[in-house]
Amino acid sequence: MSHAAQWTAFGAPAPLVRVLLAAKVIIMETADLTHHISRRFNEDLEKVRNQVLQMGGFVEQQLQKAITALVEGDSQLGESVATDDYKVNGMEVSIDEECSRILALRAPAAGDLRVIVAIIKTITDLERIGDEGEKIGYIASQLATMERPADKYREVKHLGRQVAHMVHDALDAFARMDSQAAVRTAQEDRMVDEEYESIHRQCITFMMEDPRTIRRALEIMWIVRALERIGDHAKNICEYVIYMVHGKDIRHTSLEDVAKQIDAAHALARRG
Amino acid sequence: MASMWTFALARLAGILIAGLVVGLLFGPIWAWLLAAACLYLGWQLLNLHRLDRWLRLRSQIDPPNLGGIWGDIIGQVVRLHRRKQFHKQRLVQLYRELRRSTAALPDGVIILSSQNEIVWFNRQAARLLGLKRPVDVGLRVDNLIRSPEFVRYLHADDFSIPVVIRPPVHADLYLALQLVPYGAGQFLLLVRDVTRQMRLEATRKDFVANASHELRTPLTVISGYLDTLADDPSIDETWAGPIKDMRAQAQRMNTIISDLLELSRLESTDGEAPREPIDVPALLERLHRDALARPNRPRQVSLDLESEDGLYGSPQEIESAFTNVLVNGLKYTMSDGMVRMRWWTDVEGAYFSVIDSGIGIPAEHIPRLTERFYRVDAGRSRDRGGSGLGLAIVKHALQRHGGWLDVQSTEGKGSTFTCHFPPQRVWQAGLRAVASA
Repeated sequence: MSHAAQWTAFGAPAPLVRVLLAAKVIIMETADLTHHISRRFNEDLEKVRNQVLQMGGFVEQQLQKAITALVEGDSQLGESVATDDYKVNGMEVSIDEECSRILALRAPAAGDLRVIVAIIKTITDLERIGDEGEKIGYIASQLATMERPADKYREVKHLGRQVAHMVHDALDAFARMDSQAAVRTAQEDRMVDEEYESIHRQCITFMMEDPRTIRRALEIMWIVRALERIGDHAKNICEYVIYMVHGKDIRHTSLEDVAKQIDAAHALARRG
Repeated sequence: MASMWTFALARLAGILIAGLVVGLLFGPIWAWLLAAACLYLGWQLLNLHRLDRWLRLRSQIDPPNLGGIWGDIIGQVVRLHRRKQFHKQRLVQLYRELRRSTAALPDGVIILSSQNEIVWFNRQAARLLGLKRPVDVGLRVDNLIRSPEFVRYLHADDFSIPVVIRPPVHADLYLALQLVPYGAGQFLLLVRDVTRQMRLEATRKDFVANASHELRTPLTVISGYLDTLADDPSIDETWAGPIKDMRAQAQRMNTIISDLLELSRLESTDGEAPREPIDVPALLERLHRDALARPNRPRQVSLDLESEDGLYGSPQEIESAFTNVLVNGLKYTMSDGMVRMRWWTDVEGAYFSVIDSGIGIPAEHIPRLTERFYRVDAGRSRDRGGSGLGLAIVKHALQRHGGWLDVQSTEGKGSTFTCHFPPQRVWQAGLRAVASA
């Protein structure tokens, strides 16, 4: 009431002062409340983003384990990858639910809405990557019982590393909201496709040379096909990152144009 | 100081008196007094303005040359400023030194806030984990280091044992990450490249496993021939002694090799032991019968079963651990001594003790007993036919069951070896009755 005392000292009528003070309290409270809501909302968003990245981390590890299982002929590791895929599916479902909850409760707009949409799409792709990893793990455990080729799947290992890198970079771009890195990573997909082509051709040559390798070569084709698909999914995640940051849907457009536009946007932002 | 102020007062008085005198001579006193006061005020304002201008453009112009109190004030400001500059420089220097030394550390260092957000990291951390400056500052660390093991470690309470991960950026590296709490909920995350240690460890394990396996076949052949030779009547009597010794040594080597294989099997199987139910009282009764059947055993070997409970675990590993503890006790006890086995449970878990009245162990050796091939003194265990691996096997087997080995000993009086098991490994007698019904 010290405010009121001061005001009355200057001659303002006491009831008026009281009304004014009450109004001030109400205004302050509502301001506090909106602040509170937005903070909670930010926390929710950050939490779900973190969950997506945890899911990504698990998927990355699955992929790495699957490739190791193939290269080292470790059938147990391959089987463990195949049986652990249910965890990825569980994560997808729980993140999906969390996103629906945020959409229903908070009705986000603009950038926040884009984040939610991008997350919903990203987890679908991550789940698919998990499925492909499961496939690779399963085939690797089958191949472990067969004789290994002299080069110990060197090409497949190389392709696997490249793809694992792509997934990792895509998730890093997601974590950092870095559209430039996203474009760079998306462009790597072309190299993965070329590598896939060349292994494909190599497998066909092997099969023609020696029909006894047909069974193994066919299994290898499944694996490289899965790796190539994972590359595509990683590229999709990069596209969602660009959508999330710039609000631009770049699917089915040339990546070079996108790269130019984004670099220009960044240069503009830096100057401004 | 005081003189300056008296001088300033005197100056004011002088001006006022001058105004008064002129007023007395030439006209209205008040006008002349006012004019004098205004003059003085104007002069002070001018000085104030020059001081203000200098404070604003301090870096570009020299301090104005004002005498009296104004000059003194300017001098004080200059001194203050110099002192502040000096301290600032020292702090900056110190800060740079710190930054440079942490940057030069061979280990990666990341400073985390209480929300697990990255506050700062050095060059090595950036290199090992693929972090980028400045975009990664302020991001949550588990958004960038996404390895599930690390995330589990980050959310656990116990940071004492570092977690080893394989970073996706350098797939052929092993990194040990350790959190060190400090200040108000902040953390230091230390990143160390342990690839070499991990490789060495792997090579060592492989070597032990392979070597023991490869030694087994030739040894079987040698023991086989020795057995035949021992039973061959055509061999000269003088060879009987040497052949007997050779058979005993071959037998000993066989024990060492099987112990080595057992140990390397325990080491190479990761994680927790399975949870198969084990009927411990029945197992102990069998071990007791075996002990009684040994040729040169201590006079008294007893078994106290104080609990009907069993354990959840791996039956072979538990049997191997219990046998090793028991055999250890039997070996170091004279033939007129006693060995007592005890099995009991309480709220904190289950216990298996072997209490002997043997020769005991000097206190300084106790912590190292479970090291492989560790001997309290040179001839001690060799002439009793031990492999030197028994207690190492016990330690590993217990570790896989979440348990540990406790050793109490008095030299010359005897020792007590106790295996502790956590409560979640105890298979309660009530449940057992249900299972068998």
